[in-house]
Amino acid sequence: MYTQDVVIQSAMGFHVRPAQLFVERAAEFASIIKVKHKEKVADGKSILGLMTLGVLKGDTITIMAEGKDEEAAIKALVALLESECSKD
Amino acid sequence: MNISSLLRKEAVFLDIEAADKNECIKLLADAMEKSGILRDKEAYIETVLKREESGTTGVGFGIAIPHGKSSGVGEAGLAFARLKSPVEWESLDEKPVFLVFLIAVPQESAGDQHLRILMNLSKKLIDDEFRKKLELAETVEAVFEIM
Repeated sequence: MYTQDVVIQSAMGFHVRPAQLFVERAAEFASIIKVKHKEKVADGKSILGLMTLGVLKGDTITIMAEGKDEEAAIKALVALLESECSKD
Repeated sequence: MNISSLLRKEAVFLDIEAADKNECIKLLADAMEKSGILRDKEAYIETVLKREESGTTGVGFGIAIPHGKSSGVGEAGLAFARLKSPVEWESLDEKPVFLVFLIAVPQESAGDQHLRILMNLSKKLIDDEFRKKLELAETVEAVFEIM
């Protein structure tokens, strides 16, 4: 298991558009990916699941990956949230 | 936030036909206009379609949540359509869409109002039981009870 905390910078929080980008990237990895926010955990490969977390700008989420490419998955997802998902 | 209080009776459709995603959005926006929540329907539709261009709102499970925060919206509202024939919505799970929730939020509303609506709706939609009930609802009244 590999985990990392990230602060969400997108004004859109972690809703449809950022969640979609996240799920697209997460799907490229074999690892099981989960996202935790305030004790709630959602499937990192489900847009609807991520949207239920109610993440807003400035919130911290924990990304968790478990599997053979867990480290690469976390690095890619953190990079995504820090770049593309912080634009809008 | 109570999602059902945003849903308009005139804007709930069960087993209607829409040729494609755009027709479905227009149909629901027409109903929103009739229910009195839109000030400028064309401006609102333009915002929603522009949003779709930046990335699909097909969230999987045959569900789409198109939405727009626009000056064409007078007050926040929600419309729902269950389609007779599923339409393509470029969803990530590649499944066509047959349950559509259209969200309208005024431009001047609090910054995160539309996010809260999306979150509350998602919380309901992620539940298998809730989706099953929506799929089986026989009347508009039944949809309100489920919500």
